Amino acid sequence: MRRVVVTGMGVVSPLGTGTTAFFAALTQGHSGVRRTDRGICAVVDMDASLHFPAPKLRMLDRVSRFALVAAKEAIGQASGALEELDPASGGVCIGTGMGGAETTEEGYRTLYAEGSERLKPFSVLMAMSNAPAAWIGLEHGLAGPNLTYSTACSSSAVAIGEASRRIARREADLMIAGGAEAPLTYGTMKAWEALRTLAAEDAEDPSASCKPFSKDRTGLVLGEGAAIVVLEERERALARGATVLAEVAGYGLCTDATHITRPSMEGQARAMRLALEDAGMPAGAIGYINAHGTGTEANDAVETAAIRHVFGALADRVPVSSTKSMHGHLLGAAGALEFVAAAMALASGTVPPTMHLRHPDPLCDLDYVPMRSRRVPALEAVMSSSFAFGGTNAVLIARRGN
Amino acid sequence: MSTAERLRALLQRDFDLAPEALRSDATLESLDIDSLRMIEILFCIEDEFGITVAAEPAEIRSRVTTFGDLEGYVDALVAAGGARAP
Repeated sequence: MRRVVVTGMGVVSPLGTGTTAFFAALTQGHSGVRRTDRGICAVVDMDASLHFPAPKLRMLDRVSRFALVAAKEAIGQASGALEELDPASGGVCIGTGMGGAETTEEGYRTLYAEGSERLKPFSVLMAMSNAPAAWIGLEHGLAGPNLTYSTACSSSAVAIGEASRRIARREADLMIAGGAEAPLTYGTMKAWEALRTLAAEDAEDPSASCKPFSKDRTGLVLGEGAAIVVLEERERALARGATVLAEVAGYGLCTDATHITRPSMEGQARAMRLALEDAGMPAGAIGYINAHGTGTEANDAVETAAIRHVFGALADRVPVSSTKSMHGHLLGAAGALEFVAAAMALASGTVPPTMHLRHPDPLCDLDYVPMRSRRVPALEAVMSSSFAFGGTNAVLIARRGN
Repeated sequence: MSTAERLRALLQRDFDLAPEALRSDATLESLDIDSLRMIEILFCIEDEFGITVAAEPAEIRSRVTTFGDLEGYVDALVAAGGARAP
């Protein structure tokens, strides 16, 4: 099996566009969560007209705009990665839960609310779930596999893991991988509200509404954005003198097959163990865990138990944080965004905090790096966990690049 | 404004086409207007002129190959009151 490295990363997030802005906000404990007319959510503030000419813009749902902007940053950072690449050996793997939800909703509004049958001519092309991946492949001339994964909240962790495997198995030399999501429409927000999993607004500070691992947590806060990485076969990247940001060292994938929503401690633990086995690492090698940490009552207690199960006595020594407290839950883009956060923690030696954790829960008794980021200079490897409705658990491990 | 002027303004505003490129003999191909873009242009034309383009895309393609053709096509529709394609 060949080794796979990350040579570029790009982010469009509620904490800013660009990895530098994103990670600075994370380590400073800023929150992208706010009150909107649709409820509490984490909104991306990006002027898409600065990135695309008007005719192109009208062909792109919000989710594809996010994906393309993040991909451009990632490919720019991996400078030269696409040069001298046989187009057939480059591909795209993107995760998304809902695809072009805004276009779907707008079409329904035209049809049902306005009583008009004049749907926009590009509605199908904008709403289809594989639009973000397709546009990335088109824009950058990648003619190998172009795949879209939809496993709810683990979609983009799966995309990065599956893309890595393709490179490891010699099916591709370069893959653009990650996730994109733009679910903050009125209809989608109402659907999530109906499931009674969304956090109640914090009465004093709406931006503090997502409180993972805190006793007073009330649920998740939806967010939007995209995170994309450039994955390359290691020897190729080294040969062209690329800066290696991290190595994708391990990928664990399994399914609960027990309940459509309720997380399973066994399933989560199994995914973490599979990732460690894949990386050939003992649990003790992991210096930081970016938790799934949704802020729901069920997840956070179960995930804590799963980490204890896998890490045993070492569990008390590994910093664990949920950055969802700041950027919200990006659903299909969450795994990739959090993988980037973990990889940047690895490279910088600074672990982002779990914000809004003021009231410890006896069922959540790990070191969650509450309220303040922490310097952990000797990080060698980090883990990022994503667990989904539907039961697909995906865990990624990144190791120092050089 | 004449049909041609309104059409030029629309294509300039919404489709980034330079006014000097919109000569009567300019082919749609030279303007980068492929069949997909044409569908969107017709959609916008319907809004702009309050007409309905009922013809099938293949039929329109066989009849409209230049900007001048498009102008003539829209003109005829407007003159017919937009009830149906000529």
